[in-house]
Amino acid sequence: MPANSLLLSSSPHVYSGVTTRRLMLSVIIALLPATVFGVVLYGLPALGVILTSVAASVLSEAGFRALLKRDIRIGDLSAVVTGLLLALIIPPSTPLWMVALGAVFAIVVAKEFFGGLGANPFNPALVGRAIMIMSFPAALTTWHSPFAPIADAYTTATPLNLLKMGQSLTDVASTVGASTPAGLYWNLLIGTRAGSIGESSVILLLAGAAFLLIMGVIAWVTPVFMLGSIALFSWILGVDPLVAVISGGAVLGAFFMATDYASTPMTPKGKAIFGIGAGLVTVLIRQFGGFPEGVTYGILIMNAFAPFLNKLRVPKYGFVKPAKPAKEGSR
Amino acid sequence: MERKTFRGGAHPPERKDRTSELPIEYVRSVKQVVVPVNQHFGPPIQPLVKVGDSVKRGQKIADAEGRMTVPVHAPISGVVKKIEPRLQPNNAEGPAIVIEPDGSDVVDFLPVLDAFSCTKDQALARIREAGIVGMGGAGFPAHVKLAPPPNKPIDVVIANAAECEPYLTIDERLLAERPGDVVDGMAILLKTLGVAKGVIGLEANKEHLVPLLSETIAERRREGQEISVIVLETKYPQGGEKMLITAITGKEVPSGGLPMDVGCVVQNVGTLAAVADAFNKGQPLIERGFTVTGGACKTPKNLVVPIGTLVSDLVPDTIQVDDENLARVVAGGPMMGPAVPSYAFPIQKNTSGVLLMDKAEARYFQEQPCIRCGRCMRACSCRLSPALLNEALNAGDLDAAEAIGVLDCIECGTCSFVCPSRIQLVQRFRIGKQLLRAKKQKEAQRAR
Ligand code: SF4
Ligand code: SF4
Repeated sequence: MPANSLLLSSSPHVYSGVTTRRLMLSVIIALLPATVFGVVLYGLPALGVILTSVAASVLSEAGFRALLKRDIRIGDLSAVVTGLLLALIIPPSTPLWMVALGAVFAIVVAKEFFGGLGANPFNPALVGRAIMIMSFPAALTTWHSPFAPIADAYTTATPLNLLKMGQSLTDVASTVGASTPAGLYWNLLIGTRAGSIGESSVILLLAGAAFLLIMGVIAWVTPVFMLGSIALFSWILGVDPLVAVISGGAVLGAFFMATDYASTPMTPKGKAIFGIGAGLVTVLIRQFGGFPEGVTYGILIMNAFAPFLNKLRVPKYGFVKPAKPAKEGSR
Repeated sequence: MERKTFRGGAHPPERKDRTSELPIEYVRSVKQVVVPVNQHFGPPIQPLVKVGDSVKRGQKIADAEGRMTVPVHAPISGVVKKIEPRLQPNNAEGPAIVIEPDGSDVVDFLPVLDAFSCTKDQALARIREAGIVGMGGAGFPAHVKLAPPPNKPIDVVIANAAECEPYLTIDERLLAERPGDVVDGMAILLKTLGVAKGVIGLEANKEHLVPLLSETIAERRREGQEISVIVLETKYPQGGEKMLITAITGKEVPSGGLPMDVGCVVQNVGTLAAVADAFNKGQPLIERGFTVTGGACKTPKNLVVPIGTLVSDLVPDTIQVDDENLARVVAGGPMMGPAVPSYAFPIQKNTSGVLLMDKAEARYFQEQPCIRCGRCMRACSCRLSPALLNEALNAGDLDAAEAIGVLDCIECGTCSFVCPSRIQLVQRFRIGKQLLRAKKQKEAQRAR
């Protein structure tokens, strides 16, 4: 009997088929409909942004780890996810060199500096976008109407911009070619409006999110609480709650960014508070901040609290409240 | 039928179909037995025989004083050849009595005892004298569970027929082939404890056995006893003592406590059949059933063999092994059973399975970084946070590990099973528990 060739590892001896690579692949699949739609809306420039961002992310991760003589982990596909997410939250006209820079920053500074996969305290794609907004504010806030050649430099405002400028729902509706608020809702759900490459089609994003929920890749808690919080606080501030939820990057952020494993809490209670907080900050920035969209900062700011929110654990099985300390000497 | 269960858990592939329909095969003659002296959870006991002694089948060959001790009996009649340290299925060496058969098959059983007319003390003494330990787990002395202190009233006896470990089917076969003995064993325990209510809990994958069990229960109905069958969701670790209690009674065993704290006594169905044998036949625990299967096992079977039979002695007449493809041998189920260095180990009182895993089944994975996906937390039936526990232990922070609840971990391995990064969670918790206990002991000594 080949005794010494037997594996002596400790139990369990069977493992589920779910691997990190498979989880990341699920996220990529879930993002594909919105990605393809982005290319349909904005044509080749959008495709260029997406490919540049993904390539720069993967190459910079491999390069950085090679430089540090660490194992190359691009096979886990997490760099692809980061690159793809970053591309989806920036305008289609962003110059490719800026895209590449943003992606390298997202991977090297926001992820690898902290130890790589699973150790990043902030969402890398959002950090990448935040840095780009600060460095290239003009390029990152230049929006284009869908189906129009970007080379024409014909720029437009997003519905969220317009609302912020104090326009009424009906006025905003007219800018997207709809005559009633209902038409605006429909337009926002379909996504034929100006915006970042992948944020506009709520229906396609929800389809992807449903896939992730069914596959058990993400939990429903954070997105539901975050979108609920955006609706509630917008309503309190006098903004149409439905428009607040389905415009801007709220849906993309809630389902694909606020569910990032490493930078958000693991416990259900922590997730709920994270969602509420991210929603609140998003609304406050939208209303009072300097940027038209607050999802990025809403999530990034809450990322900082994730380690504390992780302490909100459910009581363990059989937990008994410790009895009040007995009086001295009674032991 | 409503299916009860607990929160959390996972669904490992069952892989029971190769053996679930196969009747139990009885192996009576073996060329030797290697009987580990200590097969119970408790202080060690001593051999009562010397090398050269003749022993009869059923004769007591090792014992000691003490509440938590359980004696061991000769599984075959023969001559004691050696008493020496041998490999046990828990992967440690321990003293073992080697007996070779003399072909006489003289029997030395206990007298038959009627559980329903004897006293409680007589019944408890019989269960101990018959060498009965929990056959599904750590080998906890059966009589100790049946003698709770007066301030812990018991209101239900639970027969654990969940058999939630993948691959294993011996409990299922036992229920199918010896339902009467299982029900008798339950009735004896109810009588001994003075409890009216007994519940047999099995996973939904054995639901087809419910009519047979209900019929058997009805046939053997006794005044003042109410035995029922409950179908539980097929989910690992449904057969964990705490999870089973929660699924059936809705109560949680308090942290650091025992089943009797919530009025429960749990015994594996194999143990119940052994109890029935001890009273009805006077037969001590000298044989047991187990499932031998796995990708490298060419002859998957449910077997009953004399305790102490070396698995290697059953090869090739009873079990055929694909040695070429054999990659790992596990004593027990794949979720909790230890891997052993070879199959030359003895079947003992709590060995419920022998897995001969092939290369495809026994893959070895490199640990990857924790991606903080939270799957381990959702799966932990004890509602611990394995990822955070792992972090604390990696940082050497035993206090944090204790606060998260490492001592409450039942070592079911569900967290490691679900982890997409293949992190050795439970493996690290086992070590962490030992370190923490050692640390506490030291502190206690210093405080004294
Ligand atoms: S399942 Fe594994 S990767 Fe996921 S949080 Fe737990 S330890 Fe980390
Ligand atoms: S932490 Fe312990 S109790 Fe929880 S799943 Fe892991 S092994 Fe089981």
